[in-house]
Amino acid sequence: MNHSIKRISVRAYGVAFFLIFMLGASAAQANDIENGKKLYRQCAGCHQIGPGASNSFGPQLNGVMQRGAAKVESFDYSSAFNEAMAPDVKWNSSSLSAFLEAPLTNIPGTAMAFPGVKSEDERTSIIAYLAAIDVDGNLTASTDEGAGKADSMAAEAQPRMLAADVEVPTHGVLHIGRAALAEEVAAWDIDVRPDGLGLPKGAGSAIAGVEIYDTQCAACHGDFGDGTGRWPVLAGGQDTLTDERPEKTIGSYWPYLSTVFDYVRRAMPFGNARSLSDDDVYSVTAYLMYLNDLVEEDFVLNSENFAEIRLPNEENFIADTRSKEPHFNGSVEPCMSDCLPGVATISQRARVLDVTPDEDI
Amino acid sequence: MTDINNDPKSTKALNSQLVKDDVKRAVSRRSAIKSGLALMSGGAIAASTASVANAVTPDPLITEIQDWNRYLGEGVDARPYGSPSQFESEAVRRDVPWLTADAKSSVNFTPLHKLEGVITPNGLCFERHHGGIAEIDPADHRLMINGLVDTPLIFTMEDLKRFPRENKVYFLECAANSGMEWRGAQLNGCQFTHGMVHNVMYTGVPLKYLLAEAGVKTAGKWVLPEGGDASHMTRSIPLDKCLDDCLVATHMNGEALRPEQGYPMRLVVPGWEGNMWIKWLRRIEIGDKPWHQREETSKYTDLLEDGLARRFTWVMDVKSVITNPSPQAPIDHGRGQTVLSGLAWSGHGKVSRVDVSIDGGRNWKPARLDGPSWSRSVHRFYYDFNWDGSELLLQSRAVDEFGNVQPTKNALRAQRGVNSIYHNNSIQTWHIKPDGSAENVEVS
Ligand code: HEC
Ligand code: HEC
Repeated sequence: MNHSIKRISVRAYGVAFFLIFMLGASAAQANDIENGKKLYRQCAGCHQIGPGASNSFGPQLNGVMQRGAAKVESFDYSSAFNEAMAPDVKWNSSSLSAFLEAPLTNIPGTAMAFPGVKSEDERTSIIAYLAAIDVDGNLTASTDEGAGKADSMAAEAQPRMLAADVEVPTHGVLHIGRAALAEEVAAWDIDVRPDGLGLPKGAGSAIAGVEIYDTQCAACHGDFGDGTGRWPVLAGGQDTLTDERPEKTIGSYWPYLSTVFDYVRRAMPFGNARSLSDDDVYSVTAYLMYLNDLVEEDFVLNSENFAEIRLPNEENFIADTRSKEPHFNGSVEPCMSDCLPGVATISQRARVLDVTPDEDI
Repeated sequence: MTDINNDPKSTKALNSQLVKDDVKRAVSRRSAIKSGLALMSGGAIAASTASVANAVTPDPLITEIQDWNRYLGEGVDARPYGSPSQFESEAVRRDVPWLTADAKSSVNFTPLHKLEGVITPNGLCFERHHGGIAEIDPADHRLMINGLVDTPLIFTMEDLKRFPRENKVYFLECAANSGMEWRGAQLNGCQFTHGMVHNVMYTGVPLKYLLAEAGVKTAGKWVLPEGGDASHMTRSIPLDKCLDDCLVATHMNGEALRPEQGYPMRLVVPGWEGNMWIKWLRRIEIGDKPWHQREETSKYTDLLEDGLARRFTWVMDVKSVITNPSPQAPIDHGRGQTVLSGLAWSGHGKVSRVDVSIDGGRNWKPARLDGPSWSRSVHRFYYDFNWDGSELLLQSRAVDEFGNVQPTKNALRAQRGVNSIYHNNSIQTWHIKPDGSAENVEVS
């Protein structure tokens, strides 16, 4: 354990050393691009980039600094975005930085439902990365390959520890691993149970949830939780569970409110998980309850009232009763001959074949 | 699996994709014939798809020296990590684009009709991600055990290598496999109807050894494994199952896990639904009650006709499918001796028997099981017969060692309705037409 901690810091040191002393000015740029590539991950949920990138929720971003703003013909930009862009204007570092800092304030009504990148350094890195990708999606500027070498050289220089010097822990049977620190457990242990176990202290109102939802969720899940395109529907569908096409939502199907809080906190917004504060999660959960007609608009959800709240479909969940079905546990001896009357007739064919090809996929 | 509904508009999209692929295939076949013709200087088209009982002219592939007979091929270092023959380019995973909104929370399917034996090659194991493929440097990966334990612990990959490990072959099936077929025959190919299953030899550490290091408290009854990807996938699993046969696997089929299968470590939960086999495993919590996470409430619960929903339906039931012939793998040789082949598996244990019917379930004959028979691993079956060229309605029916029998589609619908999405293990029918082509149908 000690060993690997040492190795990591040696590596970081090695890289820094190499970049500062060997490469001079261009190293900082390479570093920016490397950094920008990492930071770009928060964008990747909506924007593809690289060879063969296509539009997804947002336009693909190959050569976005060269190609001109709002210039991907196959992408349906919002009218707000189109209007904000003068014809043939190109993004430059300062206009893009302003947009990325707060997209929704910079271009009110833009479909880029993303809160923005607050740190200027981070924006600079992201823009350096975007600028380094040409219209074919290839990285033009060289990010530095020597760094890896410096890393392994530095690591080799480190003398190996003597086996007998290793401290053996006392826990368990085989004495492997190390004790987790309380801060480490707190950082990862974010699950919440229906009885409220695991719920962080905090509160949020449905009203505060509106803003969060509209800016960070509605683009995919629809203004009223009705889902855009094939993105999941979050609200409505009450009393449809026995219909031919049931609509399973938080209000119509989910058994526990804790699942909403837990899931939004661990996985949403899609492509930027763990970015909401606990109070924001309370607020957006309260607003999702409102969208499902479960509470009034002045509702405030907090760590005290949370565990008392029941969702309407809770009692309709039952245990696994499959083993009582007749084809289980040897209760039916499979028939070998004349099992069904008459000659078999085809009652249905794969529907795929009956549908005329659709070219606009 | 999300959003597997029978959406006819979307079915159109898939159909158009399938048609496009067919056209592509036809074109490549045609150009192969063309170049063959050029070589053959006017001879007959020998040894193409339809078999020829008697050759009229000699086969130029035999009488003429071919390039590969004369010129040297690539040397040893040309392919440091080998890949399949260029002529196997159709043996690939494929997706159904309309099923989900985004490829980062989506699924693709194993090409079962292109495979033999029981082991699925690593590059063809179907993928299902909820937040894309996490790319994790093993040096940066940590596994935490916390909750109702004496000592919450952190393990590195290096630590994991010091635990006793085991090698076990298990199938992994997504609970939504065949989920599109509840309402009726829909997708034309066993890759799409049954391709969310794969069978792999795992090397891993029994989970019980890791838990013993932390010391599970007596109140501990449930376990929550969590992934380190952007979906932070979680499922509640009873402690007994974890102590019985779960593994923390680092290798599949002899090599390190593929990134899309959870590199550097994933949970193996033998016989139980694939969603529980948490990939990129980073944390294991012990508790006294289940957590009711999103994937065991909103998803992976089985809605019945009366509006009740079953939850914690973990075991994958006994199931089989004929992989050849099937819609993507028609009979090309005309009448005569043929090999019918398929796969059978059960999350309860070993498959003890597979029967085959060629008349839509009126009469059944036992198939021949071949290859290893391991508990909760895929079994290969064959039925060798002489096809007289008439239409067939092919079905297979598996029975496991506990007498669980694969039900017909209608028997299953009678119990559950058509909105369960998950756990459709019913009998599949392929219609073989006089030209040898095959279609996904239902019979009565
Ligand atoms: C929630 C999805 C989403 C996220 C996350 C997101 N974007 Fe966008 N982005 C969009 C959409 C949609 C548009 C099109 C704007 C419109 O039509 O109003 C857009 C537009 C853009 C444009 C202008 C493209 C052009 O063709 O002119 C750039 C540049 C851009 N985004 C960069 C980024 C960067 C960098 C990030 C990450 C820091 C990011 N976006 C995160 C959805 C997103
Ligand atoms: C870029 C699109 C996108 C954005 C933005 C987004 N989501 Fe989602 N959401 C998804 C996808 C995709 C899934 C399904 C993921 C899966 O199946 O693994 C999902 C699933 C969910 C679910 C579970 C739905 C169900 O039926 O199981 C909830 C609840 C949810 N999102 C809430 C939110 C909230 C709250 C926000 C804003 C803070 C948000 N989402 C932002 C795409 C998005």
